[in-house]
Amino acid sequence: MASRKPSLQALTAAALALPGLASAQTDYQADYLYSQYREGELPAARAASGERSDRYEIDTHMIRVAGERDEQSLTATVLYETMSGASPWWVQPGTDGRPVQVMSGASIREERVDLDATVTTPVRGAEVGASLGYSHENDYEAVNGGIEAEFTPETGQQTYSLGLGYSYDRIKPTVGASSTDVIDEADRDSLTLYGGSTWVLNTRTLIQGALSFSLQDGYLSDPYKRAFLTEVASTVRDSRPENRRQWSVSTRFRHFVPAVGGAVHVDYRFFRDDWRIEAHTLALAWHQVVGDDLRISPSLRWYSQSQAYFYAPFYSSLRADGLASSDYRLSPYGALSFRLDVRKIIDAWILGGGLEWYEASGDYAIGSVKVENPGLVDYLNVTVRLGYRF
Amino acid sequence: MKRYWRVTCAAIWLVTMSGCSTVQPWQRGDLARAEMALDPDPLLATYRQHVEFSKEAASGGASLGGGGCGCN
Repeated sequence: MASRKPSLQALTAAALALPGLASAQTDYQADYLYSQYREGELPAARAASGERSDRYEIDTHMIRVAGERDEQSLTATVLYETMSGASPWWVQPGTDGRPVQVMSGASIREERVDLDATVTTPVRGAEVGASLGYSHENDYEAVNGGIEAEFTPETGQQTYSLGLGYSYDRIKPTVGASSTDVIDEADRDSLTLYGGSTWVLNTRTLIQGALSFSLQDGYLSDPYKRAFLTEVASTVRDSRPENRRQWSVSTRFRHFVPAVGGAVHVDYRFFRDDWRIEAHTLALAWHQVVGDDLRISPSLRWYSQSQAYFYAPFYSSLRADGLASSDYRLSPYGALSFRLDVRKIIDAWILGGGLEWYEASGDYAIGSVKVENPGLVDYLNVTVRLGYRF
Repeated sequence: MKRYWRVTCAAIWLVTMSGCSTVQPWQRGDLARAEMALDPDPLLATYRQHVEFSKEAASGGASLGGGGCGCN
């Protein structure tokens, strides 16, 4: 397969030039990713204990093998990660009335294994892919599958894409990590649908627009979190609605600048759900190619979300609808992340690595955040990459 | 909410009807460059999407998310 004829190479290059299909794949490629994820410690001023606390650490190993033969392709991914550390439990008023975070007492130790495979084949002029995945943790299992299709009309100026996915998740909280009033076992179903189109605007510019919809039904609460009621000075279990509808509108813009041999990427997404959360995500990246084999990619990502309608850092008494959650992920906040990724090709090998610094704060949100959740996270993520093409 | 959908549909219509010029296959050398791909590094993109999914309320886009939680 390595000795492709020049005419076939030209055809392949033309096919890759169709919007949405461009990628660095050859016939077969194996990739390895190692990630070291470290959350910053919870400062003493935001901790109910008055002492600073370590948070989560995750080490991830991913291997992906992709191959193409007779217009059909197979991609298989294996993930293994270990997680440890303390996690936010509930939020309560401190001595000055401002919210402080209570962390889980015991250090959590967990493993996760995730298997995923996708087969793609041409069907009546479209590229159709079917995927199947399985994820396992001590207390969590998920099975997911999906069908995606891409179609490029003969004019080649647009590519249309469509995807439908389903996931079944089952959670069985581990003894001791939770509380007596929390469920023994629960499950949920998730359905995701998206449609998009990618347009070639000119010889150096393309843009993609997409709409997505997701429906979740079942247990959507977090059995490891609680909410504090000031009237009784006690906690109740985290309780969220049993269904959730989410919409998003997104666009991705790519432009090549030949004068400097680099490409600018601009990604934007607007998100809204029926928990009344609205979120904006904007990512700017520059991919600079040095020589023919080195790529340096700095990027900046900004994120802002409003709060869920039932969220509060703590409650005076239980809401009439019984809902309660102090999870920082449902709170109003914004986040900034800086990334730098490097990729070097040496013969058939691909070497690379990257850094990401992520910081969440009420100051980065659209509008003013009156009460910031004390559990907001920041993290440093270091990745190492190794690939081989054959 | 209707306002957002109207703006989105109008933007899509404008780009579709007026923004595209005909670019022949032999003019697509720059578009075919690896750094011009929508996801120049699919494995890294998959990993980072999962991290964001587990830390933020928002998700969605022109791809299907994988399974599993990995939350804390």
